[in-house]
This record gives sequence, structure tokens and C-alpha cells, in this order.
Amino acid sequence: MQVFHIRYRNAQGALMRILNAVSRRGLDLTSVHAEYDGQDYAVTLLLEVSQKQIGQLSREWCAIVDVIEVRSSAVLRGHEEPVWAPHPPASETVAQQSARAALA
Amino acid sequence: MLKGADIVLQCMRAEGVDLVFGYPGGAIMPLYDALEGSGVRHVLTRHEQGAAFAASGYARVTGKVGVAMATSGPGATNLVTGIADAKMDSVPLVCITGQVRTAMIGTDAFQETDVFGVTLSLTKWSRLVRTIDEIPEAIAEGFHWARSGRPGPVVIDIPTDILKAKKEFSGPSKFTPHARPAEANAEGAFSDTIVALLQRATRPVALVGAGAKLSGAIPELRRLLDDLNIPAFATVHGLGAVPPQSPYYLGMVGMHGTRAANTALHETDLLLVFGARLDDRVTGDPTRFAPNAKIVHFEIDPAQLDRVRACELPVIGNLADTIPAFQAELRHASLPDWSGWRAVACGPERAEADPRGLAQPTMRFLDELFSRLPQDNVIIADVGQHQMWAAQRYRSSSPRGFITSGGLGAMGFALPAAVGVQLAKPETCVLCVSGDGGFQMNIQELATVHRLGLPIKMVIVDNKYLGMVRQWQQLFYERNYAETDLSDNPDFVEIAKAYKIHAWRLKEAAMAEFPVSAETGDLIENFLRSPDPELLVFDCHPEANVYPMVPAGAALSEMVYGDE
Repeated sequence: MQVFHIRYRNAQGALMRILNAVSRRGLDLTSVHAEYDGQDYAVTLLLEVSQKQIGQLSREWCAIVDVIEVRSSAVLRGHEEPVWAPHPPASETVAQQSARAALA
Repeated sequence: MLKGADIVLQCMRAEGVDLVFGYPGGAIMPLYDALEGSGVRHVLTRHEQGAAFAASGYARVTGKVGVAMATSGPGATNLVTGIADAKMDSVPLVCITGQVRTAMIGTDAFQETDVFGVTLSLTKWSRLVRTIDEIPEAIAEGFHWARSGRPGPVVIDIPTDILKAKKEFSGPSKFTPHARPAEANAEGAFSDTIVALLQRATRPVALVGAGAKLSGAIPELRRLLDDLNIPAFATVHGLGAVPPQSPYYLGMVGMHGTRAANTALHETDLLLVFGARLDDRVTGDPTRFAPNAKIVHFEIDPAQLDRVRACELPVIGNLADTIPAFQAELRHASLPDWSGWRAVACGPERAEADPRGLAQPTMRFLDELFSRLPQDNVIIADVGQHQMWAAQRYRSSSPRGFITSGGLGAMGFALPAAVGVQLAKPETCVLCVSGDGGFQMNIQELATVHRLGLPIKMVIVDNKYLGMVRQWQQLFYERNYAETDLSDNPDFVEIAKAYKIHAWRLKEAAMAEFPVSAETGDLIENFLRSPDPELLVFDCHPEANVYPMVPAGAALSEMVYGDE
């Protein structure tokens, strides 16, 4: 199970576009929680996804014009708080990791 | 005080719009009422889908935003295929739709459709305008997103009462984009990695897609490929990006690509992808796509990465930024000698054989047509066998010279798109190549062509079948030609005449001799040089097939070259 945390501008349809990326893949939405987070809006999704789908979903969300930030974490038994990681390949850090991997 | 409709048009003028395509109806009548004197020319198509495709053709050939207008309900839903096409092919398209009165929204009023909801998954951005005050910002933001980054379609849905309302108008808005997810920098941070990959590569190749054109980086790309001098090929949307006469160019890649391109792609150990999303028509079986290659993917839209095949190194950004950064690094690098690999990949053993079999006359016909086109030309292909034949025979180096619905594969695209292209390029020879199936999907646009006197040269490759489906039925469904027989087609020549358009018919037998007879040559010349719209129906063999072909689910190395 993977938990995704997406910050977005609450423009018309923004949340629906985020959810569409899930529904178009036929994935079950185990849990959805959207709220105002003080400055923007945020939605937390719990999904059963493959490793490949984690990347695909994160990149598709990043491409939505009203999305500000995408983070994801595996839900680990015994850990109440997920360990968040910003999602690439948008982030420079991970892209540099890709570069190292490419040369490996 | 200005009406909402006047504000919409003034804001569109501020975005550089002077031409829109559309079809009037109840909810959008206030906008039509305001058109006269607005500085925005309206072209009436005969179906809203025609308006969307015409706007798409205009956008594809100019790089500017195309605009389509339609009323609520069926008018809006008729735009949907054009919107989906624009999404798939990264076309900057803004659709303005009328909506029922604000108070009636959600009541299932006459001609009410939730077009915002219907198009949500197809649009890059959309807005249901709720007050007249929102109009300037909605237009500004909509046009911004349509043309920025990876271009795409936008829907702005405006209730009719808002179009009729009045307010003081202080001028169009400017849109300032908000914060977006951080993107990998485009200043060359990865160029040294790519150079290192190149230095280790023994069989590098380059694949060019639509992004190379959309980025405006064609000169930079061509310089880079000249410097690298490695085998290069293009997707159907990348055709024209690399001059076909380049010694390292191998033609189109993918399901109906060339033997040389697909073979090189299968053998490569380093694939540089420039603005292509590597869809299934390009990759064949993704698990066996470029099986020995590391992939460096230059792409503006991160959502396109790793969809079908994981890439080892994503380079996210506009090619206009990333290619020069890479090339700057390349100037100081010492690269291996790839002449042996180049000689094999580009050698005569892998060159395409002359067309053979039942498709030979059609290929010759297309060769004749294309070779006689004036220098300044644009070819618009519909969807099906003729599309692939045209793509295979395309020999121009004009980056925006070959236009087709490549991603969505929407039959009926070509004729209305040609209307948009011809209006954008009135001095250009616009050749519209359709099949008999696709032509009938938007045949009503002959009326638009006639009314505007557009000198579009329309070709129907008439095999009296839904040819590509029939080909698959032949090859994969034991010749069960279920519902693909169009042998009762109408007489297209007579139909054209009913629209007051001159039409010709050319029998397949005219291509039996090669070069063609003087009579056939004259017919083609007269067809192309006419100052008027012309239709030429070419009788194609019903069972002509497109080859080479990579069967669905096969690897690129498993090409089929003919019926035998």
C-alpha cells in the first residue's frame, strides 16, 4: 500500500484531475482525504499500486497545472507516520540519482 | 459598459486571436451576436467536430493557439473528439462553449451538458465561468496553459446569461503562473552524463518526435544530429524534423516504419529520444523494445517518462534549452568513431525495396503527387492505410509540413484540418489525403471549402474498405471482413460536384507504367496547379496492404514485409 500526499491549488476540477489519474488506471481508491492545509489544499490518497505505477501517477500529477507538490511513502506496519519523499523525476536530487544509475 | 460576450472577444484579441472556427446555437448566440466588428473572423464549419479539427489544423501549422466555438449540449459534445485529439498530439486549442443560464445549471435543462465534467480528463485546464468578472482571468489563464509547456486543449464554458450581462471593463487580464513542482534543471547538469554514455556507446541512435517541432528547436536539433552523425529516425509526428537527405536519416520508425529504422532501434545500445513519448505504435512489444539500449529521454512533460519503457536518464525541459546545453558540452568531448556502425545501419542492405504487391500503384501515385508539389506545401493525412503510405513516402524537410491525427487516430480529421491549414497559409499548396471511410466522416466540410473558395487539393485513396481494419482482419482474423466493406460508397465525384467542387477520378491502372503517361502526368499537374478547390479520387486495390508492418505485440525486429 502506498500513501500519496498532493498539494494543489483549489481551482475548478483540480481535485477531480488528481482522482482521474487514479480512476483511468482502474485503481481502487482505498482512502481519500482532502482539506485546506493553511495555504493551499492537500489530498492524501491511499492506493494499492505497483512500483511502476508510483512513478507514473506521480509524474502525471506533477503535469496537472494546479498541482504544487507530490510526495509519496510506503505504508509500513508499525509506523504511524509515513516517511515522506518528494517525487521525481521532477526533483533535481532524484534526477541526479538517475544520472548516476545511467552510468552504472 | 460591455457585455460579457464583448469582453470575451476583446480578451481573445489581446491573446492574438483573429480567427475562430465554430457553429452557432442557442446558448452561445450572444457571442455570435458580438462577433461583427470585434476583429475576430469566424469561419462556419458544418459540424462542431469540423470546427475543432480546423482549429487544430490552424494551430498545428502555425504553432499559435487555435480556437473553436460551439453551443451547449450537443454542440459542446461534438467538440470532444477534437479535444481528445489535441490532448494526444499536444495541440494548443481553446474551446469556448456556451452553457445554459447559470440558474439552470444542474437542472438537466434543454441542451445542458456538463461539458466541464465531460472534458475533464481530456483537457489540460478548464473553467466553468460563474460571473462576468471571471471572464478576463479565465481567458488569460486558459490561453496561457494552452500554449505553455507541453501545449494542450483548454475548455472555457460560459453560461449564456454571463455572455449577456454587462459590466465596466478595464481591459484584459495578465496571468501569472503559480508555483509548480520543481523541475530538473535544463542548464546542462546532465550533459556530461550523456557525453559519458555516448563515449561508452558502440551503436547510438537518435529518435525524433513531435516535441522537436513544438519546441521550435529544429535548427538546434539538426546541428546536434549533424555533429553526432549517428543513425536517426522519426515518429510520424517527427517527420520533416530531420532532412530526409541527411546521410544518417533512416526514415519513419514504428509499426509501419522502415526496415533500417526499426532494425537500428532494435540493435542500439544507446537511444537518444528527442520529444517523443514512445507509445505502443513506436515501441511494438515494450518488453523487447531496444532491448540492449540505455535510453536518454529529452522531454518537456515528465508525465511522458517511463510510461512504456523506463529510461535510464530523463532530461526534463524544453528542447530549445536542453539541446543547446547538451551540444555545448559535446564541443569539448572526444567521441568514438561510429563509422562502422553507421555504415551497417545506413547501408544499402537495409534500404527499402521498391514498393511491390497490390500497394505498388498507390505508392507510385503518392510519389507522383508529392514530387510534383510546389516547394511550399503542407500535407494533411487522415487516418488509416493512406496515412501510413503517405508517411512512408513523405520526403520533405519542412518541420510542420506533415500533419495528421497521430495519437488519437481520429478518422475524419484531414478535411477540416486542411481548412484550418489553408486559412493559416493562404499561399501554400495544401494537400489533403484521405481514405474513403475517413472522408465521409466529415464530408460536410466540402461546403466550408466551397464557401471560402479554399484551393485545397483533396485526394481520396478509395479502396472501398475501411482499409487498415480490413488489413488487420486479413492478417489476424482469418479474412473475416466484418463490417469493413464500403463497396457501396457513393460516387465521390458526383458528391463533390453537388458541393460545386471540381472532381477527377484516376484509375489504378494509370500507375501501371512508370514513369506515368503524359496524360496522367498532366492530370496530376492540373489538379495541383488549379487555383480552385479540387478533389481527386484514386481507385486503390481493395486488398492493398501497408508494409513493412510490425504485428501488434511483436518486437520491432519481427517486421513483416509482404503478404507472401
